[in-house]
Amino acid sequence: MDQERKTYRLVRLLTGAVTPVVLAAALLAFARLHDVAWEPGAQVAGLCRELLAGTTEGRQALFGSCWVAPLPVLVYLPFAWLLPEPAAGWAAFFSAWLFVFWTVREAVKATGQSGWRILFAQVAVAAMMAVSGQPQALQIATALTAGLMLLAAASLADWAAYRRLRDVVATGASGAFLMLCGFPVFGPAGLAVLLVPLAACGHRETRSRFQAWLLLGGLPLVYAVGVWLLLNRLILGDAFFFLRSLPSLVPALLPFLGALLLPGLLVLPALAVTWFCDARSETPGAGPVAASALLVSFPLVLIATVEVLARFGVDWNRMTLYVCALAVLMIALARLRQPVYRLALSLALFVWLSTLWLGGGAAAPSPAADSGQLCREVESYVNARTPYGRVFVLGYAGLDLLRGYAGERLEPNMDLHVGALRRAYKGQDLYLLVPRPEGPARAESVFWKHPDVYELGGDRLLYAAAFGTWRLFQVVSAPTQEQLDEWKKAR
Amino acid sequence: MNEDKERPAAKRVAEIDPLELSRRRPDWSASQPMTRVQKGVLLAVLAVLGAAFLWAPLPTARGLIALCTFFYVIMTLYKFVVIRASLSPSAILRFSAAQIAAQEPREWPVFSVLVPMYKEPETVKQMVAALAEMDYPADKKDVQILLEADDAVTLAAARALTLPPGFRVTEIPESFPRTKPKACNIGLHLAQGEYLVIYDAEDLPEKDQLKKAVMAFESSPANVVCVQSRLNYYNPRQNVLTRWFTAEYSAWFDLQLPGLAALGAVIPLGGTSNHFKTKVLQELMGWDAYNVTEDCDLGVRLGRAGYATRMLETTTWEEACSDVRFWIKQRTRWQKGYIQTWFVHMRNPAKLLRELGFVNFLHYHLLIGGVTFSVLVNPVFWAMALVWFVFRPEGVAQLFPGPVFAAGAACLFLGNFVFVYINLLGCCKRKNDSLMGWALLTPIYWMMMSYSGWRAFIQFFRDPFVWEKTQHGLVKKSQA
Repeated sequence: MDQERKTYRLVRLLTGAVTPVVLAAALLAFARLHDVAWEPGAQVAGLCRELLAGTTEGRQALFGSCWVAPLPVLVYLPFAWLLPEPAAGWAAFFSAWLFVFWTVREAVKATGQSGWRILFAQVAVAAMMAVSGQPQALQIATALTAGLMLLAAASLADWAAYRRLRDVVATGASGAFLMLCGFPVFGPAGLAVLLVPLAACGHRETRSRFQAWLLLGGLPLVYAVGVWLLLNRLILGDAFFFLRSLPSLVPALLPFLGALLLPGLLVLPALAVTWFCDARSETPGAGPVAASALLVSFPLVLIATVEVLARFGVDWNRMTLYVCALAVLMIALARLRQPVYRLALSLALFVWLSTLWLGGGAAAPSPAADSGQLCREVESYVNARTPYGRVFVLGYAGLDLLRGYAGERLEPNMDLHVGALRRAYKGQDLYLLVPRPEGPARAESVFWKHPDVYELGGDRLLYAAAFGTWRLFQVVSAPTQEQLDEWKKAR
Repeated sequence: MNEDKERPAAKRVAEIDPLELSRRRPDWSASQPMTRVQKGVLLAVLAVLGAAFLWAPLPTARGLIALCTFFYVIMTLYKFVVIRASLSPSAILRFSAAQIAAQEPREWPVFSVLVPMYKEPETVKQMVAALAEMDYPADKKDVQILLEADDAVTLAAARALTLPPGFRVTEIPESFPRTKPKACNIGLHLAQGEYLVIYDAEDLPEKDQLKKAVMAFESSPANVVCVQSRLNYYNPRQNVLTRWFTAEYSAWFDLQLPGLAALGAVIPLGGTSNHFKTKVLQELMGWDAYNVTEDCDLGVRLGRAGYATRMLETTTWEEACSDVRFWIKQRTRWQKGYIQTWFVHMRNPAKLLRELGFVNFLHYHLLIGGVTFSVLVNPVFWAMALVWFVFRPEGVAQLFPGPVFAAGAACLFLGNFVFVYINLLGCCKRKNDSLMGWALLTPIYWMMMSYSGWRAFIQFFRDPFVWEKTQHGLVKKSQA
């Protein structure tokens, strides 16, 4: 008995602390060595800077887009508060990956098999990330999404298999947090939560409590969405502000939303297996076969989601979804009853195969422009023309650009209202610095408010200059009497 | 009858000192609500705060808000840890019907049952029937119905019944304070059992509870001297108040107390259905007759004496208070008792820390002090949140600098949700699915708690010993 307890403690220490720490440190070292310019949360760090400064732009950016998820920012925030860059980024990265390895442990341990399985699964996930040769995939947002996806899928599988109340809570909570990881995972998160009551329908004892499972599983997600809507209403004046980019990104919105539901159909066979196994069982619980079926169906849903997003041209988060899918598949593999050596071999094979996929699937990271240099150039350009110039750098890309900027000439803007700016900065010469609408930048609010701004400018917006992929526009306004007087004097 | 003779002769009630604890160990009793030093410290803190507000109002307000926000964050995390711990197999002692049956034949020890009552003649019959039906050898039951001498109606109702063997009425002589623990102390002196339990008049314990309690003591380490049964209500659907009350009790007894037990924490005992080793309880001089939540205080004293409490998977069904006026009185008493208990044990914080250990010291503050503090400060923060949502004044924003704002927002949106969700979880665990929707409205219930909290706080200084008795039998009246 004592020996058993000792072994149990050792395994717990190893899989719960030692291995996750070692693997997270190894991933950090890998990313740093592979790419010196690599940053674990580039956009996130810029946003945190604004939040810590207490600016309205920071608050608007935190909740203002379904494509830039609030959860990674909220995770990064305490580190940014406590530590200077780049230590804050590394610490946040380290914590995020610790979380992933913890979820791997939680996902595998429910099967009650040996601790080696957990260890192998943790190593396999780390190896997959490392040998893919894609340090850009090692972002904090990716880690959090993958960890939560693992937790949601494994808890759902355990709920189907063993009917433990804790699994309903875990699925509900991870589903809610997944919603805060951005639009691409809205569907899988909703599906996981919806499957909680549905998976309980196979057995008459649990079927009669459908409403309870729905409420307990679904409430966290509904609440998370509710809070997001409320904060949009309070901070941006429009409850649906964070979703407004969708119609401009995907003109055929209804077919797009309909198509996003289709991947959900892929869980139907697994659901049928769950019901079948559950109905045959005397006590509620469909057993490990149903759990495996549900676990395997989840990656299919994720891959199908990527395909749908790709069809409609909004698949810039495909790497995150691939990582999630592969991690869930690895867990499904690690939970199977098989000899440990065979598990090790199959995981190794799987890691090798996944590198082909991840290697090919990843978009090449764009070379990081020297943001400091660009800011200085813009500043010099404006200073050469007016002593009263003020440049608003638009969107999330703007937050990122201004991360290391210490001057006062450039400032971020998340919710462009040219009229309001003119009123607020009367007498000043205003400029807008607009990013190129490509990739995630297409979802910036400026592009759904002024779709052609980058190409054509707009009302009172005149093209001034280009800086790299950025374009500078001058806000045209009638001069004040003071300016006219100065001008006359100068003449 | 023969066994009765073998038992030690009962002492005469008049010879018993129900206030023994307060006389022999006044430092353990709430007979003096606050010591002179405590009063001095409280006044000094108030004076410093007052001066700080006059000197630098904004930084002082910011500092206080930051402290409160920190407290909320800690409380939210603490709840999470406790609920997580409730999943542990050691959280609750379980005995199946088969395990109980496997014990037979065996000699069960004598089990004393104390039932303090006051002016509730209508519940006597139901109570006697429920206890008589309990699955425990009749000759091993030692049931005392504790009735105040001036309670003629209940005395008459009890005397009108033919009490089953092992049942007796103990008349409590009139004296100050007229509290339940004082009556229980007399019952404790007269108890003949190896183990002892307290039930309220309207309680309906599960039939095998006494056997389970014996098995729990026998299978636990020697330092486990108290086993707390779970409490729940048999009238949850009477009205919205009983629904909320049941949701709260389900979360408290089915999740939080088991979680605390798994963490090895000090457990604020529930008012009834706590089973004790009689001898240890007598050594601890029973309950503090001046404390209006004598059970909570006793839980802390057990912890200080190095004893442990465990949770037992068995339920005692009680009547949920269905009248808002009585509910407020009851809650006022509970919260006043928590304040009393906190002050009693904080007379010598260093000694408390030494006796409880650091972790349990923290548990004590979060459970006893923290819960009371939160019901008192909650209205202030609700008001600020409401003002901010509706009017968005700059003043409120100034009180919450960056990180405090972030932590405060997290508590507002996440913390409050966690607390509501715990109630939902409690209902689900109890299979009270129809209450889950009502549990979503728990914030209204919290407001009532805050109202009674402030009432308790004021009463603590004005009438510390007033015992606002819980009115039972309302469910029957409503059915009639």
